[in-house]
Amino acid sequence: MADNKTGQGESRVRRRLAIPGFGSAFIFVILAGLVVAFSIMEGTAFLSAENFVTIAEDGSELLLLAVGVTFVIITAGIDLSVGSILVLSSVIAAQTMVALSGTPEQVHNFQFPNQGVGIPVGIAAGLLVGLACGLINGLLVTKLKLTPFIVTLGTLGIFLGTAEILSGGTNVPYVPTAVQTSIGTRNLLGFLPVPIAIGLVVVILAMLTLHLTQFGRYTYAIGSNADAARRVGIDVERHLLKVYTLSGFLAGLAGIIDLARFNTASVGAHTLDNLAAISAVVIGGTSLFGGIGTIVGSVVGTFIPAVLRNGFVIGGVQPFWQEVAIGIVLILAVFIDQRRRSAEERM
Amino acid sequence: MHENESGGGPEGDGPVLRVRGIDKSFGALQALKGVDLEVRGREVVALIGDNGAGKSTLINVLTGVLEPDSGEIVFEGERVEFTSPHDARERGIETVYQDLAVAPQLDAVANIFLGRERRRTGLLGRLGVLDQQRMRRETDEQLEELHVRIPDPTKPLSTFSGGQRQGAAVARAVMWASKIVIMDEPTAALGVAQAGMVLDLVRRVRETGIPVVFISHNMPQVFDVADRVVVLRLGEVVAELDPEKASTEDAVAAMTGSLRGEESA
Amino acid sequence: MSKVTRIGRRMSRREFLGVASAGAGVVFLGACGGGQGGGGESYRLTLIVGVTGDEFYTTMECGAEAAAKELGVDLNVQGPEEFSAAEQTPILNAAIQANPDAILIAPTDVTAMVAPIQSAVNQDITVVLVDTTIKKEELALAGISSDNVKGGMLAGEALAKQIGEKGKVMVISVKPGISTTDQRQQGFEEAIKKYPNIEYLGTEYCNDDPTQAASITTSTLRSNPDLKGIFGANLFSGQGAGTGLQQAGKEEEVSVVAFDASPTQVEDLRRGRLDALIAQHPNDIGDKGVRIAVDYLKTDKEPASKQITTGFTTVTRENLDKPEVKEYLYKAEC
Repeated sequence: MADNKTGQGESRVRRRLAIPGFGSAFIFVILAGLVVAFSIMEGTAFLSAENFVTIAEDGSELLLLAVGVTFVIITAGIDLSVGSILVLSSVIAAQTMVALSGTPEQVHNFQFPNQGVGIPVGIAAGLLVGLACGLINGLLVTKLKLTPFIVTLGTLGIFLGTAEILSGGTNVPYVPTAVQTSIGTRNLLGFLPVPIAIGLVVVILAMLTLHLTQFGRYTYAIGSNADAARRVGIDVERHLLKVYTLSGFLAGLAGIIDLARFNTASVGAHTLDNLAAISAVVIGGTSLFGGIGTIVGSVVGTFIPAVLRNGFVIGGVQPFWQEVAIGIVLILAVFIDQRRRSAEERM
Repeated sequence: MHENESGGGPEGDGPVLRVRGIDKSFGALQALKGVDLEVRGREVVALIGDNGAGKSTLINVLTGVLEPDSGEIVFEGERVEFTSPHDARERGIETVYQDLAVAPQLDAVANIFLGRERRRTGLLGRLGVLDQQRMRRETDEQLEELHVRIPDPTKPLSTFSGGQRQGAAVARAVMWASKIVIMDEPTAALGVAQAGMVLDLVRRVRETGIPVVFISHNMPQVFDVADRVVVLRLGEVVAELDPEKASTEDAVAAMTGSLRGEESA
Repeated sequence: MSKVTRIGRRMSRREFLGVASAGAGVVFLGACGGGQGGGGESYRLTLIVGVTGDEFYTTMECGAEAAAKELGVDLNVQGPEEFSAAEQTPILNAAIQANPDAILIAPTDVTAMVAPIQSAVNQDITVVLVDTTIKKEELALAGISSDNVKGGMLAGEALAKQIGEKGKVMVISVKPGISTTDQRQQGFEEAIKKYPNIEYLGTEYCNDDPTQAASITTSTLRSNPDLKGIFGANLFSGQGAGTGLQQAGKEEEVSVVAFDASPTQVEDLRRGRLDALIAQHPNDIGDKGVRIAVDYLKTDKEPASKQITTGFTTVTRENLDKPEVKEYLYKAEC
């Protein structure tokens, strides 16, 4: 007689590991290995709290994009437009702030009497734009029934083009510096930069949602077999709409953080952010075919290239070697993870 | 959920499900022609027929996947219309599809509760937090009661063999069915031992008073477990056989058309 | 159950090999890719260019490296793949962590790079701006660049001469907000104002993408078939314009003056796709940048002038092979 019951020992341990979603533990090992290697080679230049904080801060925007894209990819979809949403949100947020913080004359002289209103409204506007862009992606995917790759490839251009039209192709000037000082470069409790704090909160909420709630489960189910989900009565279209909206929202939030860190909306940048986010998610163990993935994996996947770049710059490695190394690590990480996984599966 | 004590269908009160005069066409092709079928409590009905006979189409009508062009469906004495599988499921009709309709990356517990997840009580529940312990417990209990063996309910179904996956799909339908269980080729991919388990399960379901309708190509299994064998040919019911009295040759003859009309013993 | 653990043990050996090879790879790359392995007493400088793969910056790198060698200081060269603050900032931050004595940087945005550069200055690292500048330029020890307004004017005059001082002209630039290309545009516009028979169609932005520059060229030709001249405000803009003209078969009729003199542009000049190049002296910029920084580190005295401009050389098919012109052509490698 087989034993199905909540057994002792092994299955209980596995369950405890399964709950917070530490699926791809191996990726940790790679990240840890890199940290150790660089620490040995470069000593305290690399191994310092300050360096780790800047790595985290520099990666804070990509982290938000990666978290949003994780949900999308788990549903076996994809979102190529996240970089464009980031830019569009930051442009609209910036322009709103500039418009509401004072008259054009005041603002051109760097005076912002109404920034107490201008800044919060600008932030809200940027977040709403992210939400709206995500919603548009979701509607196009679910109503037009086009593959997400095509849809988000199209919206990548539409959103970016809109941002360029609105900004005239320029980085938005005259943004109140209070945005930078109160968000971008501010440290909470004296040591924790706000962008990192925001990233942490988002990561924790995302983990809880993905692994503990019905929303998370439906995300996995739809990615695993959307047809089966439909047949048991799950409103697949509605759920996908929510997932793409979430991705857009987080991209919008990343846009706000970008605006806050650099005190301008950078229109020409972020063109490769979509690939960086997808790489991070895939390195982290999420399958492009859907149904499998973790937030923690995506966090690790975000920081493996970041740590590589940081360690190489400190060590004086030529930039082109850095790209080669990152490409190798990506392939290696995914290869080993997939080998491990297919050893468990049958058929 | 499936409860042993309550006793599913009305026994002797009339058929649980009756369809009359069901027609269904797809363009020029008439898949079903004036089909009459009754399903009574505490019985196992096997639906057999050659390829293209209309078995799957009939099942799809019974489970709400398709709407008939004409005819009526009477469920527990009441005329009903199923506009979607959801309607059928709400009535307690559960189906095991031929392609299983499971999410392979999810584990057995998640698949069994798919679409019907248990949430925590209170605020957490309203936020959508799942009660995973409860679902795990209920799964264990039900599987135990039904004598179903699943290697590890917490591993993804993709790590199971085809037969084990089928067992999980069957267990899901049986656990939730309160009125009828419908199965499309439930033993198709299974080895002898596992097929035997599924047939045992079918018998156990019948014991609880819930009828089972299943499509199969496997004559020995059909004659082993069914109380009635309904034969379809080219969209019409051409025979209803009593497995105790008829033989597999009779069934095959009816399927292929060398025998006409109803054969009553 | 036991089968699972057996698989687990087998994989962990593979996993170990994987980590070991990854780690070894990293160490190997660090060792061979990493330049000048710490010379003890000598000063350490880091040069952060605007974007890698751009021959203007490569030539600057060559000038800087030559000066560094002569002065006996360590030079580490880094740069982002994309000309953007979001890409350049992590590199600057990492460079700061390595705590060099000075950082030479070509900032990728006039506003966005202020904060990261400020943080370098706060850590007592000397900063020298090369090529581009930032809003708060007083943060830096000095700024070295071409006088881009003058360069633009030279370009305007060269183009006017090419087209016989009449006809339609346009500018293809990178994107607004980059100090250098904006100034060149400015200078060009000022120069051609002096020619009443030249009609200025305006400026288009190609985002530093030669392919985009090419399509801007071909589409402008469709709406203005009588276009006579194009000024490409930087390397990729000029290159792209040349390609676009070739695609449209209009190399003979339209003159192109491009800023910068990359090997591809020089080839295009030879073949007639481009008509004149305004070569900056990035070699001098790199060279002077290193010297100013080292001077300050050695003597602690600020330079006499905080703004240093370097010159230009107008390159045409005629003077291209003369030694005094040849030395200012850009290099793809040192």
